[in-house]
Amino acid sequence: MSDVKFYGHGLPGEEDLKYNGKLIVLEGPDGIGRSTQIALLREWLEASGYAVYASGFKRSELASRGIEAAKQGHTLGNLTMALFYATDFADRLEREIIPALQAGFIVLTDRYVYSLMARSMVRGVDKTWLQSLLGVALVPDAVLYLRASVESLVPRLLASRGFDYWESGMDYLGYSDYYESYLDHQTRMLMTLDDLAKEYEFQVIDAERSIEVVFGDLCEAIQCLVQDLKPGATPSDC
Amino acid sequence: MAKLPDGTPLPGRLIVVEGIDGSGKSTQLDLLHKWLTSLDYAVAFSEWNSSPVVRKTTKRGKKKQLLTPVSFCLIHAVDFAHRYQQQIIPALKAGATVLADRYVYTAFSRDAARGVNPQWVRDIYSFAATPTVALYFRVPLEESLRRIMTGRPTLKYYEAGLDLGLSEDPHESYRMFQGRILREYEGMIPEFDLTVVDASLPLVNQQEIVRQAIEPHLEGALKAESNPWRRVLAAEGLSGRYLDSLVQSGG
Repeated sequence: MSDVKFYGHGLPGEEDLKYNGKLIVLEGPDGIGRSTQIALLREWLEASGYAVYASGFKRSELASRGIEAAKQGHTLGNLTMALFYATDFADRLEREIIPALQAGFIVLTDRYVYSLMARSMVRGVDKTWLQSLLGVALVPDAVLYLRASVESLVPRLLASRGFDYWESGMDYLGYSDYYESYLDHQTRMLMTLDDLAKEYEFQVIDAERSIEVVFGDLCEAIQCLVQDLKPGATPSDC
Repeated sequence: MAKLPDGTPLPGRLIVVEGIDGSGKSTQLDLLHKWLTSLDYAVAFSEWNSSPVVRKTTKRGKKKQLLTPVSFCLIHAVDFAHRYQQQIIPALKAGATVLADRYVYTAFSRDAARGVNPQWVRDIYSFAATPTVALYFRVPLEESLRRIMTGRPTLKYYEAGLDLGLSEDPHESYRMFQGRILREYEGMIPEFDLTVVDASLPLVNQQEIVRQAIEPHLEGALKAESNPWRRVLAAEGLSGRYLDSLVQSGG
């Protein structure tokens, strides 16, 4: 059983929470290839016999549709947005992530509270307030941070879905030009995530390299964490 | 004057009413609203859980019983933050008198009654401006239950606090849940300097007390004549027959 820790006040009634599973977070900017890597990792882990549960933002049964609808209207203030995403997060944490961990699953989550903090921090929301708000979060077993320069993200973005209003920071930076706004916003996001990476001890993985090399690094990091889930496993030199 | 949490005064006035269900606070706020409007004060009104941004999400959560104490707390914080940033703060900056039917104290009492960490809830709402006057309508539990239960209404799942598993009987659960909320309110009177109004008094007497509490804060408050064309009608002897449709359509 893991020693369970929350970042802050935690969840009511879960003070003595225990679970067998592992909570593994992939962090990194938009367009870095997190969902591709999670799809590969999931298959790889399942092929090795582990039960995997994948989770990500705006996938909660409660709040995902509401957030999507509100973003269409561009009407969300910075606090409203932070709280709406926190609602989405809390719903997934309480009703999906924790039950999966208790059932012994490896939970792979596409981003975690750090991205929520970074997005709100660049929009001027107070960090201490965010830390308290997101203090309901479990401390994960590992945070793997896929990192790349902003310039290297642009070609990938253009090859996929193009510029998004919110991912380009159009809601707060005041540019009329998506490209300028995107560069400015993503640079701020990168700096903020880098700071959080130090504070919360992320494992940084250089994601400017090829998919297979990055995948190899992720597998190595995860292998160490999950091997004690197998019966009769002996501690390794990880 | 209302104040930001850092102490910065805002030109407007923020008047808040609080109390358990059946305390009669909305009735008193409505009377206050009409009185202030009749005196030509610029008044803005904001009601708990009324933001269109979360309406569907809240409805979905309640209907499917998805809400936990934490997500129940957060969804109401989204509602509040949106109304705060879009209605309350702009009106206060403009100097208006803002009337709020329930404010952060509703969250503090309900969420604590649901077992959520009280300090966490206070931290979440720490961005909220301090009201000029926060009126707490104090009513004995039995009296409020008598008012609400007249006709034995069907109580909704979360309204009755059935999510807490206090009792399987909705009415008994509601009684216990409201009792918990009442205790939370009582504890907040000194904490937030709430102005207590005896809500078992006749309505007229309560309104008198409410107006006396508000009046000292109205000096210099922003005014906005609600129907400024009235003077033209009077001076020119017009009936205003074409204005009726304008007024109805909000023009």
